[in-house]
Formats: sequence, structure tokens, C-alpha cells
Amino acid sequence: MGFTRINGKMVEARVVPGQRLFSQRGAMLAYTGDVRFTPNITGGQGGVMSMIGRRVANEDAPLMTVEGQGSVLFGHGGHHVHVVDLAGDTLYVEADRLLAFEGSLQQSTMFMGSQGGVMGIVRGQVTGQGLFTTRLDGHGSVAVMAHGGVFELPITPGQPVHVDPQAYVAHRGQVQNKLSSALGWREMIGRGSGEAFQLELSGQGAVYVQASEEKL
Amino acid sequence: MAQFRLQGSRVLAVELAGDAVKARNGSMVAYTGQMSFKKLTGGGDGLRGMVTRRLTGEQMTVMEVKGQGTCYFADKATEINLVRLNGETLYVEADNLLCTEATLRTGTTFTGLNGVSSGNGLFTTKVEGHGWAAVTSNGPAVVLRVGGDMPLRVDPGAYVAHTGNLHRSLKSGAGWTTVIGEGGGEAVQVEFTGEGLVYVQPSEKITIGGDV
Repeated sequence: MGFTRINGKMVEARVVPGQRLFSQRGAMLAYTGDVRFTPNITGGQGGVMSMIGRRVANEDAPLMTVEGQGSVLFGHGGHHVHVVDLAGDTLYVEADRLLAFEGSLQQSTMFMGSQGGVMGIVRGQVTGQGLFTTRLDGHGSVAVMAHGGVFELPITPGQPVHVDPQAYVAHRGQVQNKLSSALGWREMIGRGSGEAFQLELSGQGAVYVQASEEKL
Repeated sequence: MAQFRLQGSRVLAVELAGDAVKARNGSMVAYTGQMSFKKLTGGGDGLRGMVTRRLTGEQMTVMEVKGQGTCYFADKATEINLVRLNGETLYVEADNLLCTEATLRTGTTFTGLNGVSSGNGLFTTKVEGHGWAAVTSNGPAVVLRVGGDMPLRVDPGAYVAHTGNLHRSLKSGAGWTTVIGEGGGEAVQVEFTGEGLVYVQPSEKITIGGDV
């Protein structure tokens, strides 16, 4: 299975019986074969409890289940699409950036605020990224959306990566994140360089960054 | 010396080893290592630079990025073109200048009345010295060589930058039908004569003079 890149803004997925896909509702562009699209009332995986969790967490981008036999083209809003293949590791991505993912992956919602206490809450407010992130675990492919192309920066112990919150797309691996403000109060009151806040990601993994500071 | 390279076509990666670059405010998307960001008052180049910028409306807020490591820059997913200057001068619209080595001097230059009618304003940013500059364009830019008796005409909205010894003047590509509103939408063009290179983008931005 997995996703095949057609061009920068479109991916193709093969659907085979017994294996399903999830995609953002309305992201199907075309399909061939015998494929069924059903709105996913539970909002993905994990049943009702997980759905409630996501509603509360505001991570409830409507999903649909894709099943059958054939091939489907996905794309949305002319955004760039990047495919991430997971091999037993974890991807953290915001629900509205999630275009499609394979049903073999385990989906859950993670509270980001707990990682940084009060700072975590501040981060949600400042970055507009929200306090909750969708988490995907296991083996399978994920298609994420970005404005402009995406590039991957490795995160290794002792080599943290700082990302503009607006340019952050997703990250994977064993990664701690915190909001850092490298600047003093003077910068806060509007005289800054425009780089007042950064997400600092440290640990072992990778971060996906888009070539733009525009949100989707 | 700061090393400039492209990471894909829309991201600029700059390797810094204790040196500095000047970049458009807020254009950093990520970095590794140690970086500091400092706003340059009035767009850099001291008081004189600031005063001319104020007067000319060639506004650009610039920050100085200094440090050790790799800093990544991008602007609204536009394409990035690297320009290597070896003592020559680059003329570029302020909106299209993303980043320069700190060793390059930036200033403002009067383009004459041509600027006004082409809708790009009276002034252009001038970059001179030795080093790298990164210029953004909406879509991949083509670099057109001008030389000999071959003048080049460019749509003012598609013009991005130029280097070399070029004279620019405004041409009306239209006959009397344009005047009475029957134009083909290409009423005004900028003509370049002399020797040099012109960067043209495959898009026609909305200029301050409106849709020309």
C-alpha cells in the first residue's frame, strides 16, 4: 500500500480489500475501481471515547473511511502534499494538516500542554497551533499538507532544531518540544525582528518544516 | 563567510560560522545551532539609510541574523534565486529581497519617473559588493541577457531584479485603441538597454499603480 506521489500536490493510494484508509473529508479528487467512502462518525479510530477526546481537544477535522478495491487520488486546496512513512515510530501532526493515512496506523490525540506546564498553555495561545495534536503510531504511510514544499530536518541528541511556529508542520520520534523566546521584553512590545517565538525540538527524530509562514 | 544554498526551490539554507546575514523580518522558518535575531533600525545601513527609506517609501524591515549553525529562510512559499555579486550592483524591488550577506551594502536608488507609471514606485533597492544575495520570485524566475542592439521589454509586474550596466525606460506598447480603453492589457512595458541580466517572474503582481 502506501501513497504514490503524482506531483507536489497530489498523491495516489491503492485500496485493497481488508485494508482501509482514512482521509480528510472531501479530499478525494478522483478514483477508479470499486471504492466506498463513508463519513466516519467516530472521527477516525479509537471509538466514541476517542471521538469525545478529539471534540474537546478541537482536533476533530472530519474524516472519512475509504474501503474497497481500486485507486484513489487525494489532494486538497492546492496545498503541497508530503508523504511520511512510519516504521513503528510516532508522528505528531495537527488534524487540519492531515490529508490521509493508512488504517494500519493507530490514531490518538495528545495533549501538548502537559509537556511544558504553563509554558505549554502559553505556547498554544501564542503559536496558534493548539494544545492538542493528533498522534499516529505504527507501520504505514501518512500524507500531510503544507503551504509550499516541505523539508525534513533531523533532530539528534545535543543538536536541537528551532522552528518558527507558523512554519512547523509535523514531527516524529522521541522528541521534546518547548516554546523558547530567545529575546528580551523589548522585542515583545513590537520592536522585534519578527522571530519572537520559536519551537525548540530536542531528542531523537525529525521535524517537517514548510517553506512559508502561512497557516493552511 | 556565510554559505548560501537552496534546500529545494523555496527554502534558503545559510551556514553561519560566527558571521551575520541581513534578512527580511520574520522570514526564518527553522534553525539548528545558536542564532540571534536583531531588528535593524530602519532597514539597516545607519541613519542615512533609514532617512532615505522613510522618504522613498522603499520600506523594508530587516533583521540581522548572527550565529553558528544553519538558518533556514522562506517567504510565502515563493521561489528563491541566488545571485552572486562580484563587485557589481543588483537592483531589486524591496519586496523581492529575502536575504543578503552582511558584507553587502544595501541602499535605495531613484529610478526616475519610469517607476511611477510602471507602478513599482520611484525607488528600487540597490545591493552592492561581494557576496550572495537571495531574491524571491513568484514562480521560477528566468534570467534574460540583454546586450548589443537587443533591448528587452518586460511587463512591469513581472520584473523582479537586474544586474549590470542597464538603462531602463518606460515604453508604451499601445496604439490609440489602448487610450480609449480597448487595450490588450499590455499598455506599459519597461525597456532595458545596455549590457546585463534581467530576472523575470512568470507572474504579474498587482503593482501599486494598479493593474497596468
